[in-house]
Amino acid sequence: MDAVLLSVSDFVDLTNQTLEYAYPVVQVEGEVAEFKVIQNKWISFKLKDDGAVVNCFASVYQMRTPLENGMKVIVVAQPRLNNKGFFTLNIKAVKPVGEGSIKKGFELLKAKLEKEGLFAPERKRPLPRAPKYVGVIASTESAGYADFIKIINERWGGLKVEVAHTQVQGLPAPDQMIRAIRYFNGLDELPEVLIIIRGGGSAEDLSTFNDEPLVRAIAESRIPTLVGVGHEVDHTLADMVSDVRAATPTNAAQIVVPDRNEIIRSAKAQANSVGQLLTQAIDNYSRQTHDNLSAAFARIQEKLETTYERLHTLRAMAAQLNPENVLQRGYALIRGEQVIGAVLEVETYKTIITTEVKDVRAK
Amino acid sequence: MSEQNNTPDKSVQEKLTDLSELVGWFQGSSFQLETALDKFKEAEALADQIEKDLTKLKNDITIVKKKFDSDN
Repeated sequence: MDAVLLSVSDFVDLTNQTLEYAYPVVQVEGEVAEFKVIQNKWISFKLKDDGAVVNCFASVYQMRTPLENGMKVIVVAQPRLNNKGFFTLNIKAVKPVGEGSIKKGFELLKAKLEKEGLFAPERKRPLPRAPKYVGVIASTESAGYADFIKIINERWGGLKVEVAHTQVQGLPAPDQMIRAIRYFNGLDELPEVLIIIRGGGSAEDLSTFNDEPLVRAIAESRIPTLVGVGHEVDHTLADMVSDVRAATPTNAAQIVVPDRNEIIRSAKAQANSVGQLLTQAIDNYSRQTHDNLSAAFARIQEKLETTYERLHTLRAMAAQLNPENVLQRGYALIRGEQVIGAVLEVETYKTIITTEVKDVRAK
Repeated sequence: MSEQNNTPDKSVQEKLTDLSELVGWFQGSSFQLETALDKFKEAEALADQIEKDLTKLKNDITIVKKKFDSDN
């Protein structure tokens, strides 16, 4: 059979059709080399391993995590032969793989967002103490979500919880969560808090929460955000950019609602404290009344004592004026006219003498 | 009957605020021994209502019907 004669253009088109049919999308793992940003719009790099190298091409907007030479990544791409005869992988998505590359991607994006001030403490908004309506973004099939709901129900009641079920790992997860964030932010009645939760997982699973568009969507949320991803030791850019970080989904539930038992205890304690204040007030009034009565009694006592003292003085003075006392001291009282021959009566303390006046002289 | 008993529609948060205000009244300059006993009874009734409200309230959890796997 003769080979088909094709023009160069037809050959390129036919090759691309064949590639599209055989490999509409491929995932290729390799190391990034010769990474370049062209006119701030395009990105090109080579993906290599020990045996081969392939050109990769993407727009800046398709890059959800910063790349650097040496990083190990998986690219999701469409293989193409371009008009200049170069075979390329047209990138749809890139994600770092392996602990070192994930960490590198995390650090690069963290530095970029930090420079923009997205983690600044002054951007953080407080959460209401006891919200009535919250939005939750989670996989409703996950253990983290089950823990969250269990703790919410144990701790609080009367809360309206609207849950957006999304994937929380894998390539589609960030976009799903971004749509859910936009959904809640577009509601007529906004939830008071938007909670994003996911239980523990590998560094690769949790790297979903280091996706740049997702992190930016959390930062732009009109609704204050609470993010609880992984375990205590796991840190993601999503929780760093949120208004409040929870260590785990359980911790997110503890943060978002108060503990009803604590509130009941506090209310009872307040009522008791009012009782104590009342008893204390009654004691104060009693003490004051007692003090007033004591003061009045002391004043009366003092007045009485002064009066008794005065009476005693007057009595002593009166006693001194009593003629009997003068007679007792040896004096005598004489009655009668002081003329010669008159009869006088002389009264002493113990006797009364009658006598006659013999002489009267001036002294 | 106390004021709080006449306002059963108040939220738990409002009742907690009322209770705090009552405590404040006892500690403030408006305190009067003549009305203190009634206020104390109000505080006790409020604490009981808060306990009852919090114990009986259930959360309303709904899953959004919208799918988030595409823009539509």
